[in-house]
Amino acid sequence: MSTAEQNRRLMWKGATAETTAKPPDKIGPVLIPDQFLGWIIPVSVLLVWELFARLGMLPPNWLPAPTVVGRTIYQLAVAGDLWKHAGITIARVAMGFLLGAGAGTLFGGLTGYLPVARKLLDPSLQALRSVPSIAWVPLFLLWLGIQETSKITLIALGAFFPVYLNLSVAVRHVDPKLLEVGKLYRLSSFQMVRRLVLPAALPEYIVGLRSGLGLAWMFVVAAELLGASSGIGYLMVDGEMTGRAAVILASVILFAVFGKVTDWMMTAIGRRLLGHRAR
Amino acid sequence: MDSDSFRKSTVEIRIARKAFAGSKGSLLALKDILLAIDPGEFVCVVGGSGCGKTTLLRIIAGLETEYEGAVFLDGKQVIGTGLDRGVVFQEHRLLSWLTAHDNIGFGLAGLPSEERSRDIRHYISLVGLDKFEYEYPHQLSGGMSQRVAIARALAGRPEVLLLDEPFASLDALTRMRMQQEILRIWEAERTTVVLVTHDIEEAVYLADRVVIMSPQPGTIRNVLPVCLPRPRDRTDREFVRVRKSVHDELFAPGCMAPLAAYNF
Repeated sequence: MSTAEQNRRLMWKGATAETTAKPPDKIGPVLIPDQFLGWIIPVSVLLVWELFARLGMLPPNWLPAPTVVGRTIYQLAVAGDLWKHAGITIARVAMGFLLGAGAGTLFGGLTGYLPVARKLLDPSLQALRSVPSIAWVPLFLLWLGIQETSKITLIALGAFFPVYLNLSVAVRHVDPKLLEVGKLYRLSSFQMVRRLVLPAALPEYIVGLRSGLGLAWMFVVAAELLGASSGIGYLMVDGEMTGRAAVILASVILFAVFGKVTDWMMTAIGRRLLGHRAR
Repeated sequence: MDSDSFRKSTVEIRIARKAFAGSKGSLLALKDILLAIDPGEFVCVVGGSGCGKTTLLRIIAGLETEYEGAVFLDGKQVIGTGLDRGVVFQEHRLLSWLTAHDNIGFGLAGLPSEERSRDIRHYISLVGLDKFEYEYPHQLSGGMSQRVAIARALAGRPEVLLLDEPFASLDALTRMRMQQEILRIWEAERTTVVLVTHDIEEAVYLADRVVIMSPQPGTIRNVLPVCLPRPRDRTDREFVRVRKSVHDELFAPGCMAPLAAYNF
């Protein structure tokens, strides 16, 4: 080893020793734990927004202060409108999601497990998928009227595809080597599905259910914006018609909260089902 | 265990031919295989890649059913898979969502739960994993996973245990320990064992008889008895001599496929 190299090594050692000896992250006078870093920007934006609104620099009918939006939600809750509209929206999402995810499960399982079913159904379903789902709205309205049926159908359509695609691919990709284990123990087709295929496909299925639920929320907004007399989406339209920006913003926040909460619930269910398995 | 743990069985294999359909016509994987295995015997099948040794094992297991010939277990023809043959693959093939306990009990669904638990516990301690009964496969090392796979294969109380390069993916030291383990298990359970391997030393260390296969088409080139006392010493002169004779047989002209035969 040359002396130059030796020196370089020594310097290296010295350098690492020095940096590890120092307490980490003591850059500024204020110490902010990492988990709060993400809060800095939204909190600052809210504060600046509130400040500008109070100084009269933002027209209140255009962008009301955060506190005004908060008060609007509170007032809606006290008046009972919030529960009524939220309840209707949630019911629509639940109905649509159950129908869509149910159909997605049925078709996904079928096309994943039976090659014949895949060859028969998958091309058509893929073709349908390439139509942006919102494009069906006029037809649904024409066929099913502006009542609940058309809304729920649209939501179900949104929830269907992610569930269908994920389950179909997951079932198709279940390791044939595991299926051979089932064959060794002479499992019937039904046992094969229940004891091997479904558990093996479960993680991807749950991913599909989660994105299906996300799309269900997206489509309930679309459905309610396009013609409803109730629901949070209707609140939004109403806010727009009557020029109350605070109501629109309140509705946006409600959608965000409901979407997030249901996603958490789905994740929690998924975690329970998956148990301790490695992922 | 009681007397029924002495489950021995003669295996008789008569395969005229076994071909796989390929894109360029059919490929003859096995031809004229005649082999009889005594009850309680430990037989190792050695051969290079593509000599059909795995296909042979899969035929005995009942996983390959399209072939000309027949396999007999105690004189009864074998059709399809069955619990009378336990199989261990090169990969452990454990189910990631089940604990070691439930993986071992996978084929015992028909038993009453008490009996099932008792059997599982028997086999889990046979493979020395009592402390890991409720661990999931991802929490186990490669050697431990393979032990669970062996316990799963044994739990169905097979008359024949079929192992397809079971230790090939383990590191050298673990492999040697597993070889001792499989002998100990074989001596405890007294099942007939057929083990496929490409490791000559492994075959000589384990087997009562070594079946040497040659490729294109896969045929049995020779069957060498290994008349060495157990436990065997890998460095013993006699051991080395037997190893060499298997080696010579395996590398004799025509026994290994020419390199050009493989599609790299």
